[in-house]
Amino acid sequence: MYTTTTPPKTNPQDMPPKGGYEPLTWKRQKLKTFFTVKKTLGLYVISTIAGSIGYFYAMRDVKREEIEMRSARQAMLPMLIAERDRAFLKQLNINREEERELMKNDPEWEVGTYYREPVYITVDNQFHEPRYQEFMGHAEYFDVTYRMLRRHFMS
Amino acid sequence: MVLTDKFDLPTIEELTVPEINLTFPTLQAAAHHLGKYCEWKNHEFMLCKVEEEDPRKCVKEGKDVTACSLEFFQKIKKHCRKEFDQYANCIDKSSGSSSFAPCRKTQSVFDKCVLDNLGQERPGYGYFCEAKVHETSRPKPKYNAPEFPNAAVPMTTDEPLLPPRYGSRRVLSAN
Repeated sequence: MYTTTTPPKTNPQDMPPKGGYEPLTWKRQKLKTFFTVKKTLGLYVISTIAGSIGYFYAMRDVKREEIEMRSARQAMLPMLIAERDRAFLKQLNINREEERELMKNDPEWEVGTYYREPVYITVDNQFHEPRYQEFMGHAEYFDVTYRMLRRHFMS
Repeated sequence: MVLTDKFDLPTIEELTVPEINLTFPTLQAAAHHLGKYCEWKNHEFMLCKVEEEDPRKCVKEGKDVTACSLEFFQKIKKHCRKEFDQYANCIDKSSGSSSFAPCRKTQSVFDKCVLDNLGQERPGYGYFCEAKVHETSRPKPKYNAPEFPNAAVPMTTDEPLLPPRYGSRRVLSAN
């Protein structure tokens, strides 16, 4: 026969401790916190001041380095511009000779004009910076285009 | 081209002078001392460029600038070759922008060499960004503005104003 009843206990029954149970803590207990209002504000102020001082000095150094780079560039610019100007004038000379060579079989052609009709009538000897396409007029098409678009290929 | 034969151009022989065949980091390494060494000629050339607005008139000044720079580099090569090579190498390989900040040690060595041999101190970090007054005997180019014979006489402030006709409307003005 199969039964589910447990055998009766023989031990003494569990009883409350002497003097009764301790009273239940039913009041709200606040968590212990480290960051109080004063400490938080103090930390904020101190870290802001320290960070501002560090930022000031770091930024000063960065600005000084920028100025130093700019200064170096300004110092070498006259030399580079002088060289560039000479190369530019040489190229103007070469271009004029190239046109003379190109149109030598046409007796009516005069260099720098369209059949003796000049672009500038009153200012013969005044310098005008030529347009890019005019300056590169006798160059290869690839060179002209590459130099125009070079800045898009670089970095 | 719109350049006729009446347009004066210097010939190629006149424009051919020994140029400075150096790469950018080398120039960058020498820039401050170079600018200080050739300061007057650089200012003269840039003044010419701004005043004349014509590269043909500044060829002589440009040649002076290049000759001065070449002279400076020859002196560096003669006296401070090793120090300068070290410094330029550092400038070249320390950063992508050829900046001066990572190379202060080699820079101080190079500066000392330049001070000993060329007798020139390194200018401050922002020396070439400062505005300067350039003393020169160069004549100021004449601006030939057209003069119109029938132009109106320009007004002057010396002429007294007429009395106001309708009371004091001129309370807030000068008179």
